[in-house]
Amino acid sequence: MKKSLLLLLAILVAIGLAACSSNSNSSSGTNSASGSEAAGEPEAETVTLSFWRHDYAPEAEALKKLIASFEEKHPNIKIDFQMIPNDQYETKVRTALAGGNPPDIMALDAPTLASYANQEAIIPLDDYFAKDGNKDDLLKPVIEGLTFNGKMYAAPNNEGTIVMFYNKKMFEEKGIPLPSKNVDEAWTWDQVLDAARKLNDPSKGVYGWSPTPWGFAGHEGAPYSEMAFLWQAGAEILSPDLTTSKGYLDSAEAKKAMTFWKSLYNTEKVSPKELPQDAFWNGKVAIHVDGPFAFSYQEQNFPDFKMGTDYDVAPLWKDKNMIGTTGSWGMAITSKSEHPDEAWQFVNWVTGVEGSKVWYEETKNLPARQSTFDSFAELKEYPMNIYAEQLAKYGHPRPVTPAYPAISEAIRLLFEDVGLGNADVDESLAKAVKKIEDGIALQKQ
Amino acid sequence: MKRLKFAAYDKQESRAAYLFIFPAFLLLALFIFYPMFRALLISFQNYNLISTRSAFAGLDNYAKLFTDRDFGASLWHSFYFTLVVLPVQTAISLGLALLVQRKFRGVGFFRTVYFIPVVVSFAIASTIFKLLYNKDYGMLNVILKGIGLQGVDFLSNPDISMWGIIILCIWRAMGFVMIIFLAGLNNIPESLYEAAHVDGANPLQRFYLITIPLLKRTMAFVVIITTMDALKIFIPIYITTSGGPAGSTSTVVHFIYETAFKQMNMGYAAAAAFLFFFLVLAISVVQLRIFRTDVEY
Repeated sequence: MKKSLLLLLAILVAIGLAACSSNSNSSSGTNSASGSEAAGEPEAETVTLSFWRHDYAPEAEALKKLIASFEEKHPNIKIDFQMIPNDQYETKVRTALAGGNPPDIMALDAPTLASYANQEAIIPLDDYFAKDGNKDDLLKPVIEGLTFNGKMYAAPNNEGTIVMFYNKKMFEEKGIPLPSKNVDEAWTWDQVLDAARKLNDPSKGVYGWSPTPWGFAGHEGAPYSEMAFLWQAGAEILSPDLTTSKGYLDSAEAKKAMTFWKSLYNTEKVSPKELPQDAFWNGKVAIHVDGPFAFSYQEQNFPDFKMGTDYDVAPLWKDKNMIGTTGSWGMAITSKSEHPDEAWQFVNWVTGVEGSKVWYEETKNLPARQSTFDSFAELKEYPMNIYAEQLAKYGHPRPVTPAYPAISEAIRLLFEDVGLGNADVDESLAKAVKKIEDGIALQKQ
Repeated sequence: MKRLKFAAYDKQESRAAYLFIFPAFLLLALFIFYPMFRALLISFQNYNLISTRSAFAGLDNYAKLFTDRDFGASLWHSFYFTLVVLPVQTAISLGLALLVQRKFRGVGFFRTVYFIPVVVSFAIASTIFKLLYNKDYGMLNVILKGIGLQGVDFLSNPDISMWGIIILCIWRAMGFVMIIFLAGLNNIPESLYEAAHVDGANPLQRFYLITIPLLKRTMAFVVIITTMDALKIFIPIYITTSGGPAGSTSTVVHFIYETAFKQMNMGYAAAAAFLFFFLVLAISVVQLRIFRTDVEY
């Protein structure tokens, strides 16, 4: 009921209740600075900044801590922090932007940045970064992933990539040699498949290999891990100048990747078409892939499933190339914000040199700053060193283009069609190329 | 003289009538007609959801829809869904209504049980069915496998995924339709059945010759409402399958949602919405004509 109501609201706002947009400002609490002005308070003006982020418990804790310390240091700035359920986040932000009523600061996933930047919904942060943002401290692939048309539009909370998780006990039971922890000696697809065949046990409901962390989900999680397969095989999604996918996504290398993917689900049957909740942690999947946040998730929810005895991690698999998808969430300031300077102060508080350290301590996410890497010894030790080294040597950001929503969707459907639907590889690739071409053409208009 | 008096009265009456209509009309105009009008304008533009700019596109959006295979597929999914749900759900609901219309001990219990799904939020029902349907651990498949049958993979097999949605929707809606049929059945005078009984009509004849014709109005309402609801199906799809697996449950409304909010292509989505609006309108008009009845009782 709530969803349908929300949708109705979303549609109403979206189709443009322009008449209401001017006075709805106060109702959704975008900024109430004008309110206190009108009340004519004598003391220094208090600025309230609204900040939206998707709901994820460990990160929310970190943010609450940072907000508290920020408000203590800046008594004239209040942060109105709203967490929005993950699957509604993008819709809600976009609806708010369409209604001309966005928050001052919004969290965004790296590849969506270009769509927002291209429509001038968010402002470039280069001047701020030059002033006190310590841009040199940021890792190169992070900057690359947040830059559109030569300008940087968001400050990163952290970086992200995914590595291979495996059930150590199952490996030992079947007498399979454990994969190397050296990122230069990652297992090839064939090695992983070979192990998966031995680990697969349909009678017990155990699958050998789940190549995506959340299965065929309807969100960005799926393409995030799926794109790596294309790049590993040597294929590209777009041309280097990001203008076309013809000749790139329908290359022989892409066909090879998709044929392999198809076999995992349909002939080898080592991969689950439906991934049950927490399959890896419950011992229903032997080889899995996940981000560094998985460790704290395991500690909280599956404290008896221990690293070192029950499971271990290894670098992601490789084919022709060794590549791991990178990119994570950052913070951007909307162009509608009346207080961009104050907003930057907050963004810099959370994502700056000191804030990043707090963020790492709380979330254990892969840092985006060299200084954070330098100040925590554990980042140079197993298991975090695998993430850190894989990121530094083999990281590959998702394409930064306003057509990214179309690309994400096309890739997601491509892998679904071929994996779940057992569809023809050539046909599915042609369909994906067309979808991406349409998306690019739309941006040119 | 007399006629004049009547005229004045008429005028007063109609003025009062307009006054009564006004608040409702104002709300309709503000929240339905105006947004619809804006949406119609948007459907002729290249309109990005979050953009500040937009460009006139003429009939491009509409023209593109006719060659869009994804839109075509979503239309087919919506109609397929409706073509199955309409007869099956109507038959089941009418059957249930006939069962619980009789007076017997515990009838209230059964009426309540059949109606409960209607009270459950669609979102919650969808989430629960998603758990039930899981291929390896869902209750449905555990039971099926337990009694030696083959499991059904509603959530990952594109060939049967729509049936999973159909079952969920019928389960949820049948109680509501049952209540409507129940009201219709109770409106049929008992004397007609008694007369038929005296004339020697058997139960089947009574059903076909009395119940069905006299339920025509109720039937019309049910068929039109069911058709419109079925064509507009969205929530269970959004929650259980997100249009998957492999796009096999992507209905028109899901297509519109994806296009508008994920692809941010509002102009194209608005065009799809209008095309669909006229399709549904045409179907409803045809249905109304078919069910036009002159049976009075």
